[in-house]
Amino acid sequence: MQKIILSYSIFFTLFAQAQLDRSVMPTPAPQKANDLKESEVFTTANGITVILSENHKIPKVSFDLSMGSDPRMEGSKAGLSDMAGSLIMSGTNNRPKDQLDKEIDYIGATLSADKNSMFLSCLTKHIDKGLTLMSDVLMNANFPQSEFDRIKKQNESALMSTKSDANSMAQNAIVKVNFPFHPYSDVMTETSLNNITREDVVNYFKTNFTPNGSYLVVVGDINRQQTEQLVNKYFGSWSGGNVYKNPTNAGNFGKGIRVVFVKKPSAVQSVVYVTFPVKIKSGDKNQLPLNVLNNIFGGSGFGTRLMQNLREDKAYTYGCYSSLNIQDNGAWLSAGGNFRNAVTDSAITQILGEFEKITSENVKDDELNLTKSTMNGKFAISLENPQTVARFALNIIKNNLPKDYYKTYLQRLESVNKQVVLDMAQQYFTSKNCNIVVVGNEEIIDKLKKFDSDGKIELLDAFGNEVKEMKKADISKEQLMDNYIFAVTQTKSKKELSKKLKRIKSYERVMEMTSVKIPIPLKMTDYWIAPGTEAQKMEGQGMIFQKLYCDGKSGFTYSMQAGKKEMTVMEIASKKKSSSLFPEMNYATNGTNYELIGIENQNGVDFYVVKTMEDSSESYDYFNKSTFLKEKTISISKRGEETIEKTNLFGDYKDVSGILFPHSMTMSVGEMTFSGKVSKMKINEKIDLKDFKE
Amino acid sequence: MRKALIPGMVLLANLSVFSQKKIEFVEYDLPNGIHVILHEEHSTPIVAVSVLYHVGSKNENPDRTGFAHFFEHLLFEGSENISRGKYSELVEKNGGILNANTSQDRTYYYEILPSNQLELGLWLESERMLHAKVDIKGIETQRSVVKEEKRQRVDNQPYASFLTEMYKRAFPNHPYNWVPIGSMEHLDAAIEEDYINFYKTYYVPSNATLSIAGDLDIAQTKKWIDKYFSSIPKGQAITLYRDILAQTDADFEKRYAISKSKFDKKDFLNSKDPAAKKLIASMTAKPTEIKRTEKDRTPINGVIKDVVYDNIQLPALFMGYKLPEQRNEDSYALKMLNEVLSGGSSSRINKTIVEKKEMATLAFSFNFTLEDAGVEIFAAIASNGVSLDSIQKEFDAQIELIKNELITEDEFQKARNKFENDLVSANSTVSGIAENLANNRVYYGNTDRVNTLMNNYMKVTREDIQRVARKYLTQDSRVILQYLPKK
Repeated sequence: MQKIILSYSIFFTLFAQAQLDRSVMPTPAPQKANDLKESEVFTTANGITVILSENHKIPKVSFDLSMGSDPRMEGSKAGLSDMAGSLIMSGTNNRPKDQLDKEIDYIGATLSADKNSMFLSCLTKHIDKGLTLMSDVLMNANFPQSEFDRIKKQNESALMSTKSDANSMAQNAIVKVNFPFHPYSDVMTETSLNNITREDVVNYFKTNFTPNGSYLVVVGDINRQQTEQLVNKYFGSWSGGNVYKNPTNAGNFGKGIRVVFVKKPSAVQSVVYVTFPVKIKSGDKNQLPLNVLNNIFGGSGFGTRLMQNLREDKAYTYGCYSSLNIQDNGAWLSAGGNFRNAVTDSAITQILGEFEKITSENVKDDELNLTKSTMNGKFAISLENPQTVARFALNIIKNNLPKDYYKTYLQRLESVNKQVVLDMAQQYFTSKNCNIVVVGNEEIIDKLKKFDSDGKIELLDAFGNEVKEMKKADISKEQLMDNYIFAVTQTKSKKELSKKLKRIKSYERVMEMTSVKIPIPLKMTDYWIAPGTEAQKMEGQGMIFQKLYCDGKSGFTYSMQAGKKEMTVMEIASKKKSSSLFPEMNYATNGTNYELIGIENQNGVDFYVVKTMEDSSESYDYFNKSTFLKEKTISISKRGEETIEKTNLFGDYKDVSGILFPHSMTMSVGEMTFSGKVSKMKINEKIDLKDFKE
Repeated sequence: MRKALIPGMVLLANLSVFSQKKIEFVEYDLPNGIHVILHEEHSTPIVAVSVLYHVGSKNENPDRTGFAHFFEHLLFEGSENISRGKYSELVEKNGGILNANTSQDRTYYYEILPSNQLELGLWLESERMLHAKVDIKGIETQRSVVKEEKRQRVDNQPYASFLTEMYKRAFPNHPYNWVPIGSMEHLDAAIEEDYINFYKTYYVPSNATLSIAGDLDIAQTKKWIDKYFSSIPKGQAITLYRDILAQTDADFEKRYAISKSKFDKKDFLNSKDPAAKKLIASMTAKPTEIKRTEKDRTPINGVIKDVVYDNIQLPALFMGYKLPEQRNEDSYALKMLNEVLSGGSSSRINKTIVEKKEMATLAFSFNFTLEDAGVEIFAAIASNGVSLDSIQKEFDAQIELIKNELITEDEFQKARNKFENDLVSANSTVSGIAENLANNRVYYGNTDRVNTLMNNYMKVTREDIQRVARKYLTQDSRVILQYLPKK
């Protein structure tokens, strides 16, 4: 027993010499220089820029090939590029999919593709086999119809799942509110998926996957000479068209705060993001100071303002972050997280408060220093991954940055001061003009109204598209139609109406039309002759592009591409139904299938919405609730597999011989929009339709 | 003697074709029981500092589930020398990142730092081990944060409760019965004594493995480790020290029959008072007993089939089979079995159920083994309109096939190649190396297993794979969960 005690006392005395004051934090050893290894860059004859980052730490190598084209608008085929991306690995002319999958798995490699890139990673010893497979897919992918059908079905299921995934719903809403009329807001829906064909996919791959302007990033256990040989051997014969450049808008910078809500039944938490586009391009001189700002605000880690306030102080959430996304075709910021239902509105108040504070006051020295040190450290840690070094080289080339951009990174980081951070906040951040996206339980929606500038919350569906919320109509559909006809004819009784209408025998209307997509002015002329003859032509620079004629017994259409086509009996019958000075007058008698589905508010104006149904189409007419005038028609028709949505806007109603006719019209189909101004509107003039009969 | 050498050489010859590079390390025990593992490499000036405490949700009291994970959160609150909220700030301010995770079997804390800040990392981890400090505000905050974490990761995620539901049924008599996130009611019910006992029992040097990898100098690192960790009291002396900090004079004196004032708080082990010295010595000699859980090899009691209603759009099927503990020699064959069933696009499950028959949008199996037992789970999210029963039949057919016919040579070689690739990738970062070293030491008692793991896979034969399929994928003893959309 004594022995043991003795040995312990020796032990203690040993430590007595090295008494440690634990309250003193250790001082760091001198910082080691982080030498940034140079990447090698060369270009191939067929236009590939190759970036090599050698690293022999582990016996693996990766090839990351990305395309240089900008994204295209997909509109009614939203999701086409994603669909194409998920089909690239579906087999080649040399290897059906099963064979391809087997050969990849056999060498334990990863070979994957998405809409814009292809990636191979394998052990160095399997490099030849890996590249054989990669180049085969790149040059011979054959998109079998059976795989197309299968992936389409899978997408249908995935779209269903989106409806129960709060995060996907939030991301969809974020791109929709920040980037309308921009490729980023192309979100696949059930309808758009249906419009995509195998040919579209083949075409997409053919045009987008081209060596011109592409980048091949090679990383790992390989040297320059081997890389050149392999690239030449496996990608030398790859050919394709030109790179596609498509400058886009920088996003939607709206005024005020707009709250959009996506319903997720029985959610226990809300996904909340305060989000807005940011006008900055990759490599901009403000990018680094803006990153410093975002990191102080909520970039990452536990020490940020959002994290300290919403997690560590209020315990509203497991994590609250802000992310700054600077991509090739647009940039945006979103700040938020998941919050339990009861504190969702309080969380938004806090996030907006943090935006307010950071845009109006200098940040504190210690948080600025903390963030700069964190970024400094992360930069060092990131260099462990050889992919980082290669990504730096790629960024320099893609964005035309100075060659030493990353070598001077730490120096530039050091020079960011409080004033610069405040400047960044005031230039790029806002608590006043932003979108608040909330995905959650319907029960919290009323508590969000206070944030919205006009107090009206927009409802979006799982894919970020507007959900129409209807109020019940206060009149019958027959009453609405009567009121509409009274309004346009400026009459007060049926008797007065029929007297007035009897006097109208015909009209001729000429409209001057313009479209951004068509460089020449167009003229559209419409004729109507009682009781049911209709004619229409569209012309420009002496050419007739389209014609239509129908007198109730016979009719034809003509277009420059398709020539003249006689109308079918069905088409004539349908035309006859709508051919009238005001087709709505005849709804009651000609059996038109229509209903008044409710009152919808759009931008603060109430409209009665009438849905009209025909065999393969339906349309929605919007009547202003206070004037009863028709201001919009949306018609949706199916042609084969494709759905076509057409929107007509009517405005500037003017009195012509006692009747109100719209004098401004806008028509849009897909990406095409025409704006028209009526230059001539004549009633009961002599009309000669001779040249239509030819 | 000569005979024994030959198979050894054959083995070596085999080894030489593997791509893996040997991971060098040194390891030793500190007198207080901390196991230290050091790996030195200088490719990047960073270092990963980690401490693995051999405590997970399986060590929890059944009416305090979720406690190990909750405790992990609390141990970021601060210490005697680090005030509340400064722990993470100190790491981030010095250019590092930190985090932690809790499984059924362990709690793992780590920092990745610029290598000139190694000493800081050691100080921080030693503070956490010696005298973490948690106040009421910290407990309340972290309790809410953990609840939000559960809402975010489980309650609000489609299908995310399947592990909870599976383990509940597969382990009726073992603490794997519950998952690490645990019960929020239990966390609400926790009292101060629970925290003290948990810290006292599991956060002691003899239950800790300190694993450090990266740009370090081994001799210098050893000196620093000695400085910060050897001064942590051994055995129950650490409890004595913590009681001095936490208890009132009266309570302390009642328990130990000596006044707190006799001890030197700042330099506890060198307290001058003879009575104090004596007590420290006797407490040091008393080891902290940790009651370890038992292996669970009891089979699932028949077929347990249940329906779970969730906020989902597409129905899903989850089937679970019980597997032996991870140290069991069958575990390598089982991992290869799973690779044949579900590894990569060319795997059997993906080819048949997803691609050929289009019965599921996603179908896979995975092998999840822990210290005391494991499960093989088959999962599928049904394609629109496909019944879960028909998917189950297809899974069953695949299982029967692998039991009745040997896998092909191609499939066999593919599985080997895949494991080789994975092993190489697992050691591509210093933080990955630190974690692998610690896991192998704690779970397998063999740190060098990081270098020899591939041999275990190379020993498996096609017949072994067939044998383990027959032995463990038993159709009359399994859990079947059908996930259906809530009305």
